[in-house]
Amino acid sequence: MKFSVLCVRGHGARLGQLSSIGHQGCKILDTPMCMLYTRGGSAPYLGLDMLQRMENIPPVAHITLSHLSDHYEAVQAFKEGVAKFTALKDHLVFISLHDPAVEVYSGFNEKSGIAIWGKGGKTKIDVDLFMKIQEALLPDWYQALSDGDTSKDTSKKRAGKSVQRTLTFLDQIIERHSQSERLKNSALFGVIEGGYSEKDREHSAKETSARPVSGFIIEGFHNMGPKSEQFCISDVSGVIQKTLDYLPEDKPRLMHGVWPPDQVLEAVELGIDIFDSSYPCSDLCMYFDDLAPISPHCTCYTCHKKFTRAYINHLLNTSEILAGVLLMIHNFHHYFQFFRSIHSALEENKLEELKRVIQQQKSSAISKDALLS
Amino acid sequence: MAASRAHALTFKIIAECKTTKARVGKINLPHYHVDTPVFMPVGTQGTLKGLAPEQLVELDCKIMLGNTYHLGHRPGPELLEKAGGLHKFMNWDRCLLTDSGGFQMVSLLKLAEIKEEGVKFQSPHDGSEMMLTPEKSIEIQNSIGADIMMQLDDVVHSSTTGTRVEEAMHRTIRWIDRCLAANKHPEKQCLFPIVQGGLDPDLRKRCAEELIKRDVDGYAIGGLSGGEEKSHFWRMVTLSTDILPKDKPRYLMGVGFALDLVVCVALGCDMFDCVFPTRTARFGTALIPGGQINLKNKMFAQDFRPIDENCNCSTCKDYTRAYLHTIVTIEPVASSLVTVHNVAYQLNLMTSIQKSIVDNRFPEFIQNFFEEMYPDGDFPQWAVEALKSVNVRLSE
Repeated sequence: MKFSVLCVRGHGARLGQLSSIGHQGCKILDTPMCMLYTRGGSAPYLGLDMLQRMENIPPVAHITLSHLSDHYEAVQAFKEGVAKFTALKDHLVFISLHDPAVEVYSGFNEKSGIAIWGKGGKTKIDVDLFMKIQEALLPDWYQALSDGDTSKDTSKKRAGKSVQRTLTFLDQIIERHSQSERLKNSALFGVIEGGYSEKDREHSAKETSARPVSGFIIEGFHNMGPKSEQFCISDVSGVIQKTLDYLPEDKPRLMHGVWPPDQVLEAVELGIDIFDSSYPCSDLCMYFDDLAPISPHCTCYTCHKKFTRAYINHLLNTSEILAGVLLMIHNFHHYFQFFRSIHSALEENKLEELKRVIQQQKSSAISKDALLS
Repeated sequence: MAASRAHALTFKIIAECKTTKARVGKINLPHYHVDTPVFMPVGTQGTLKGLAPEQLVELDCKIMLGNTYHLGHRPGPELLEKAGGLHKFMNWDRCLLTDSGGFQMVSLLKLAEIKEEGVKFQSPHDGSEMMLTPEKSIEIQNSIGADIMMQLDDVVHSSTTGTRVEEAMHRTIRWIDRCLAANKHPEKQCLFPIVQGGLDPDLRKRCAEELIKRDVDGYAIGGLSGGEEKSHFWRMVTLSTDILPKDKPRYLMGVGFALDLVVCVALGCDMFDCVFPTRTARFGTALIPGGQINLKNKMFAQDFRPIDENCNCSTCKDYTRAYLHTIVTIEPVASSLVTVHNVAYQLNLMTSIQKSIVDNRFPEFIQNFFEEMYPDGDFPQWAVEALKSVNVRLSE
């Protein structure tokens, strides 16, 4: 994987390009970008047939180990990797450990491995199993095994331990990765830990960037899930800034979480390049009862086909799956559009304007989940 | 008799089987046309489980059902009228059929009491006493605006015997007249009476003979999907189709298993509906030629074939059994994916039946169908007898 920063705006917002990625070397991706959030290897509510009715779908599908670890043996037997297994064969695949929309229970990670939570409960993943799964899934890029079980209240000692464990995992993974014929086109992202401790973050960043990784994931500020929507990046901007100072410019940086637009913009300003798109799926609800589309000028499938607020409201009242389908399309559309707006704002050096628009929308939003244009 | 009236429905027979009572026809309705024999998927609440209307069009579904009881409750007739009817509300510009709401009253509500005026029931919302009369049912169905409406009938469970069955039969006849009088839009919404009479051949016969005196565009055969003995079931069906006029469509209510479809087409039925294909999809059961598979089963964990290699639906084009195995009953998207396939299966079956009738090889189609469904030759006795009654002798 190659990454180049085209320009830097303000204090650190980067306009960049990813290329030579994984198994489809010809694709070029513009950053800042978001990935296509999936559950169980599918966009929530959207089969490929419906997904293909959308425009501007992110080319990278974000699949989580917690959803597929129970089934890795099937993917292994399938031989052709998780992208084709999940019918997302036209997408690049990034594998993270946890689903950013689901809270990760605290206190289950060990020196020998970490706990991930799937439908069948807890699975302990050690480096050996982790690499076996990655070889089966055949990702274009993947997150190294990491102990991100730290938050605001974590002790300094625990923060240091998470850094140490994560580095130990990383060294073992690098060794296994370098010997793996199957993973020779897969890029490995190292994970920066250290909770809220600047010193531990610094150590983690320095050590991780000294190793042969293609990019960085910065985690360990929260335990994912709906609560992470309350996470305020400005509370940790100092720590993040310090961390980024130790990371090389020419490698991409990714942060997981349920990201409302204003938080995305703050993270972009700090120099984060890649995000997930779990926010538009976080809690699909609307409170409308009129016969207009969700937003009159919206070009998404749902609004374009003139499904009305009243109809979607009826589908929600009656717990019909189509409510999820139609809202997911609309909300995804706006979130993906938002990332395009970030991109053009950076190109035209108009990030401040975009920030003002997003702030206005935030204060006037009728409902947080129907992302209105 | 009154002068000729406007017809919301016209029916034309395209081909008739030379052996059985099966026929292929075309129903023209205000919103679209329907090729028969037809299976109509059930979209109870104004949506077919997880599918966008456009996906149904792509499967070439031409007619679907809505349930009056549910739609009358939510979103309610006022909003439906404001929206310009259910077609516009749900974005479906092809045909719709609604039931009367009576069946749900009796099956869902324990406290329903049937009187001459209508079905008295306790509101499931506030416990107040309410009454669904034939007039009220039609009023709600007029607000929904389906191309075909059903009369309110007096439904008795198919295992009921004695005078109650006869009473229900007579009341059903009285109620059709009240329903016909109440229909505000006969020019764009037609109304089917329902042949009742339980499992009593004499009552069925009398009911059908009385109903065919009415000026209606088609007929339904009701009260026959309640788990009754199949040997009674088919006899009631064939007795009804013998009496009903040939030039009007016949709708066998609540029947939709593949085997029943094939047999009842041979007995002369044209329209069918059933929640089974869509309901079972949500539990991970996919319909395939020869039966069904439950994708939840471990045996599919490493089965990299599509649900059905010969199916042209989007699910079979894109997905394997092994992947579906990992998401059925877990991810909502799996419901939609399996539902797409099951609807495609039902519609493809009907298309194949139509084609075989047109090509005058329906008896061979039946034989092949049975061999695939029962490779050991253990054909159900009732089906063998039913087919024999229409001159098809299955060879084992």
